[in-house]
Amino acid sequence: MAIEPLAPARVGEGERSQGLSYQELLDTDTRTVPEVLRLQSARDLPVVRVPIERYVSREFHDLEVEKIWKKVWQFACREDELAEAGDHVVYDLADQSILIVRGDDGALRAFPNACLHRGRALKDRAGRSKALRCPFHGWTWSLDGRLQEVPCRWDFDHVDRDEHALKPLPVDTWGGFVFVNPDAAAAPLADHLGSLPRHFERWPLEKRYTEAHVARVMPCNWKVAQEAFMEAYHVVATHPQILHGIGDANSQYDAWDHFSRAITPNMTPSPHLKETPAEQEQLDAMMNRSLDAPPTVQVPEGMTARQILAQVSRMQLQGAVPSVTELSDAELADSFYYTVFPNFHPWGAYNRITYRFRPHGNDPHRSIMEVLYLAPYQGRKPEPAPVHWLDVDEPWTEAPELGSLAKVFSQDTFNMAPIQKGLRAARHTHVTLGRYQETKIRHFHCLLERYLEA
Amino acid sequence: MYHRADEGCGRVTGLKLRHPLSGAIYSRRDDGSVEVEEPDGSRGVFEPDGRWLRGELREADPHLLGFVGGPELASRRGPGTSAPRHTGGVPVPRFDGGATGSAAGRRRNLEMDLGLDGKRVLVTAASRGIGLATAQVFADHGCDVAICARGEAALTEAAKDLESRGARVFSQSVDVADADALKTFVTAAGEALGGLDILVANASAGGGPGEAAWQANFDIDVMGAVRCVDAALPFLRESDAGSVVFIGSTAALEFLGIPQAYNAMKAALIAHASDLSQSLAGQGIRVNTVSPGPVYFEGGNWEMIQQAMPAMYERALAQCAIGRMGTPEEVARTVVFLASPAASLVTGSNLVVDGGFTKRSAF
Repeated sequence: MAIEPLAPARVGEGERSQGLSYQELLDTDTRTVPEVLRLQSARDLPVVRVPIERYVSREFHDLEVEKIWKKVWQFACREDELAEAGDHVVYDLADQSILIVRGDDGALRAFPNACLHRGRALKDRAGRSKALRCPFHGWTWSLDGRLQEVPCRWDFDHVDRDEHALKPLPVDTWGGFVFVNPDAAAAPLADHLGSLPRHFERWPLEKRYTEAHVARVMPCNWKVAQEAFMEAYHVVATHPQILHGIGDANSQYDAWDHFSRAITPNMTPSPHLKETPAEQEQLDAMMNRSLDAPPTVQVPEGMTARQILAQVSRMQLQGAVPSVTELSDAELADSFYYTVFPNFHPWGAYNRITYRFRPHGNDPHRSIMEVLYLAPYQGRKPEPAPVHWLDVDEPWTEAPELGSLAKVFSQDTFNMAPIQKGLRAARHTHVTLGRYQETKIRHFHCLLERYLEA
Repeated sequence: MYHRADEGCGRVTGLKLRHPLSGAIYSRRDDGSVEVEEPDGSRGVFEPDGRWLRGELREADPHLLGFVGGPELASRRGPGTSAPRHTGGVPVPRFDGGATGSAAGRRRNLEMDLGLDGKRVLVTAASRGIGLATAQVFADHGCDVAICARGEAALTEAAKDLESRGARVFSQSVDVADADALKTFVTAAGEALGGLDILVANASAGGGPGEAAWQANFDIDVMGAVRCVDAALPFLRESDAGSVVFIGSTAALEFLGIPQAYNAMKAALIAHASDLSQSLAGQGIRVNTVSPGPVYFEGGNWEMIQQAMPAMYERALAQCAIGRMGTPEEVARTVVFLASPAASLVTGSNLVVDGGFTKRSAF
């Protein structure tokens, strides 16, 4: 089941598409570009093929649960879902269920979501309560996990209060996200995140509110869904309508420790095009301009589409983002999509998107994809949007809060069931990955390999 | 996925796109299917999932078919203030703007432009009822809105709803009786929105007996409006469409069954609006009053009266000539029209919106 190295890693000429490299594009910026965008990782990942079994087998799913999901730090919820004492969230994955609670002392705690009496899940869903009371017989724990009350205590003199405290699990926060780890002996979250916080220093995600949160059941393995959002290689075939305004094949891909990054430049034409489009055409592509409609935004004489998009974004962010005038064109125009192993995808700069992908129960052919829009705000922090669930048959367009991006997600989703179908039908044994543009996926599978071997 | 979340301003209905690689034109048809024309002139019509329907062209790019055709985006309208459940059995007519029915193709578009796009509007007490409906109609017409109310939770809900309609929203929890807080809010709103064009003074203490009610109606209905205007004037003077609307009441015009402060204070407000319309006209600012009759909505006064004083409710309902009470949205559309540049000649008026509840001849 191991990944197979095909060739040693190579860096250099001929490794990427023709056209501007991302670093060359940064040289044209009207502002100072932050150092983090100048970073380029070493690319010493072995080129890999990935066994198809990883996407279709229940046995491999069970192995993933044992070796990864029971061991790894994972994004459970946003911290503002746990604003007040007694607020709790239930985070479920495969057969795991973890209860995360804000205590009277303000601290966050995580416990296995199971009553120590006869095992019922202590909470069925998120809510706010003064204590953790099992709905079955009423055993009650304080918010910090101490056993508080056992009805008919006389019947349980063999039950020691201290021994029957809820067993805390590691919980920590970064960027307004709450992470849990089912492994009580886990190394700290900071070790897992590594240098990621440095990347986000300029774009503090804790200073955002959840403007939208949509969760949809997907007809494919969670890695199939996730890997469709880790590269821009699919743009040419899956999202052809935006080719005039996206430097898809000029994207930059990097990988460090437990996280990877892709940067796809916008408002620069795709190298796939035979002719270079006008600046206005580049902007029109992003705005979905109809051939018979006037442009939404006009590119003024002497300006580029990239500059005008950055300028419009600066105006939109005015007030909500301090020092918005210092943000580079790149930060306002381009897509910076990070992946933190195994399934957490925060976007950099001010693009608002965060994705999460996870298995749907124990079915290797189903998954849950979540889209969060984390928006900057002015004044008092707005309440987070509740999760809007879409079943496998409900299209993204049913979620108006996603805006017209719903149509783009639909294009991605159009591929999902046929990918799963093809993988199940395949007589070949491995999927093959590109050397450069699929760096993030290769990096993910290298880490997966490391966890499986541990 | 690589796309920007904030490209939401684009259109995806009635869409016609050229495939950047093949050069084929993809046009959405009314039924959601897509007509494709290749550069060589060959045509085909396809389902949005790629299935061929008719034409010589037998295959097209399913991803572009799905983008151009397929399900439209669900409505971005929030639950808002739809018609009340109880309207005396009379259906509320739907207002659908410029729809011209089957003749649409042949007729000129005669829909009146209210000229509100990009205007900045402040509405007090806008977390429910007439205030919320008014802010929603403004937002639907392309305005940015500043709203206040006392309760935080409802205010947050309202702000979210308005944002979902595409408005920039400034909201703050304010007790309109608190002079300083009110002035601070109006100034902060003007600064946050980069100016104010329209002010709607809607806050009211409501009806009630005794001296405390006199004080409350004076503080909130009258002084709330007076102070709002004072604080908003520096912004309104800068606007090329400055306009103020006070929310009065038919209770100021005809006896409503009980003498109370509310009725008299609303009368004072109407008189003051008339005075202001004269004094501010030279500065390009119009001032009008809208006086609603009974307006029924969930959680509103008339729902309460229906339960607590059914006889009074039945009497009032019987008095409505059109056979039902009003809805917040009906009042809101009147306020929005009066406040808009479309009503540029109207100032000093008190427009009664009551479905024939009052019986006087209004000369």
